[in-house]
Amino acid sequence: MRFHVVKRDNCPLWKKLGLYLLAVAVALTLGGLVLLALDVDPMAYYSRMFTMGMVGNKIAYKTFENYLKVFVPLALTSVALSLAFKMRFWNIGGEGQFILGAIAAATVAFKLGSALPAPLTLILMCLAAMLAAGLYGALVAVLKVKFGTNETLMTLMLNYIALYFVTFLGETQADWNFFLDKTSVRPIFASFAKTVSFPRIPMGKFGLNICVILTFLIGILVFIYLKYTKHGYEIAVVGDSVGTARYAGMKVDRIVLRTVFLSACLIGLASAFKVGTAGVLSTSITDDVGWTGIIVAWLSQLNTAAIFVVSALIGVLHYGSTVAAATFARVDSSFANMLQGVILFLVLAADFYTRFKIVPVQKGGNSHGNG
Amino acid sequence: MEMDKLGVVTAFIHNIVVYNIPLLYGTVGEIMVEKSGSLNLGVEGIMAVGAIFGYIVGCYANSLAVGILTAFLMGALCGLLFAALTVSLQANQNITGLTLTTFGLGVYFFVGNGLKAVKWPAMNDYSHIKQGFANIAIPGLSKLPVVGEGLFHHNLLVYLGVVIAVAMWWYLNRTTPGLRLRAVGENPGAADSVGVNVKRCKYIHICIGCGIMGLGGYYMGLNMSGSFSSSCWINGYGWIAVALVIFANWNPAMAILGTFVFGFFNTLRVSGGGLAAAFPGALGWLAGIPSQLYQALPFIITALVLVGSSMKKTSNSGAPAALGANYFREER
Repeated sequence: MRFHVVKRDNCPLWKKLGLYLLAVAVALTLGGLVLLALDVDPMAYYSRMFTMGMVGNKIAYKTFENYLKVFVPLALTSVALSLAFKMRFWNIGGEGQFILGAIAAATVAFKLGSALPAPLTLILMCLAAMLAAGLYGALVAVLKVKFGTNETLMTLMLNYIALYFVTFLGETQADWNFFLDKTSVRPIFASFAKTVSFPRIPMGKFGLNICVILTFLIGILVFIYLKYTKHGYEIAVVGDSVGTARYAGMKVDRIVLRTVFLSACLIGLASAFKVGTAGVLSTSITDDVGWTGIIVAWLSQLNTAAIFVVSALIGVLHYGSTVAAATFARVDSSFANMLQGVILFLVLAADFYTRFKIVPVQKGGNSHGNG
Repeated sequence: MEMDKLGVVTAFIHNIVVYNIPLLYGTVGEIMVEKSGSLNLGVEGIMAVGAIFGYIVGCYANSLAVGILTAFLMGALCGLLFAALTVSLQANQNITGLTLTTFGLGVYFFVGNGLKAVKWPAMNDYSHIKQGFANIAIPGLSKLPVVGEGLFHHNLLVYLGVVIAVAMWWYLNRTTPGLRLRAVGENPGAADSVGVNVKRCKYIHICIGCGIMGLGGYYMGLNMSGSFSSSCWINGYGWIAVALVIFANWNPAMAILGTFVFGFFNTLRVSGGGLAAAFPGALGWLAGIPSQLYQALPFIITALVLVGSSMKKTSNSGAPAALGANYFREER
């Protein structure tokens, strides 16, 4: 009997979730086998990783604060990227947009931080970062709309141009370079944490960074924007079919420009949160969120609520593996990247079965589709 | 004194080749993959996987040939994974490629750091690897003034890289399977309708292309004398290779030239100071250029090429028309 593959229209949610969970379970099992081969107890390692060593830890609140520092930029960047992806605009330039945003935010902090009150400086930092990142993203959208330049490759190039720009700032000692610590002999970035930093709401020993609340708030706003506004509807239509959108009289070019700008703006905001919390610029300021964010957005099927869940989990994976690496010296922290890769490979494979089904070819010329 | 200056130039040319041939491997491999219509953003990760396994297995076997074979096979295995997900399971190519990069770098560090904790194989201990990687002079040509020593006195993998690039050009443009491959990349539906087995064609060429990338990774490992540190051997070369494909207009022969151009800037970064010192009058200004500009240049140039070629809307672009789109037969 021969088989062939046909598209299926709607896969029930429980089936989708079941398949994804199965994929994750298989990935964790494979990871467990690797751990066993290294003579490490997988259960002990995983429990250490998933609890991030917080159980029975007196300074667990500190761990959770640090975890949130990983979670916030990742969640916000993923939400931002999902906006562009919904339109099938492949903005893989999150890294570059994040870097430019961070530079802009740091510039404001250095130049105005000592003159203005802290709240105003923070707001200006956010705005500057959003503008810088937004324009860097919009540049690609303009080229795409005007000339049809491939946005995947273009944003990829811009990532590296931004990366070497921030490296240049970090390694060049000169009078004009206010980003660097003047007192240091070796070039290192100066800290502005003393002048300005995002406030934290004290909850006992634990301090809840205001960025966490803002991130959730923005998540809700984006959810509403995509689901209940005209703009959101336009994005969905353009993503589905540019032709349909044009036929319906939508100004596709404007929608693309607007959405990509907004997407990049939010990435800029994420970088402002990151820089404003860390109080210092760095060449590895992005922590790869521009890349990981793409994976998170995709794993979440561009669903805003799911993005928060998935980025929380991926955050645990990354932060937990560094915590676990301290206890299990034999397991390198790169285990997280490997595991993340395997999880995604398996989810991508599982995804196939939610979108397609395999049916036997029936005899008698009763063919499916129009092939 | 005059001879010494020429020596600097020769060393400069020599460095361009030695340090940048991995770009050629990555680029030529990616050209083959992209010609089949697949945009594979996993070059960096695939090169890393090829590098680490090629190096370790090659050392333990104390054989360059085994190392080369292992690197190729591991690269091809990554390709098989990519093909299975994107060709058979219709997964998104961008996501799959990016994941392959994350995964590949994860494997690289996991295996490398893991082995380092036990005992890292030092290249110096393996005589056959060292001898195999030693420079070989091409008789006659290497005696040419200035360029001879720079271009024609290299290790085996340099020559192999150039041979692969030329062979690939011939394969793509002068053979029937090459023609079929290009047809699949341009219009898989049309190729399918005239009897080309699109799936098989994609699988084969993705695997071979990724295997070639793996070889490039192995070369980089050997070039670093196998010293393993916290920064990856590949160090962004995979991404430059993705850029170089565009610069070379999807032409393997042009990729050789492109490797020289990108390699030229790369080498200026490392040994531009030497040139500036040898020719203070003419090239003294080189010393003032920040090294990061050289690092960014390949990407700046490629960005300009991308914009330029899309503005012209030229019909002679080598970019496969179906690049990045999965082929689903039932939707033909």
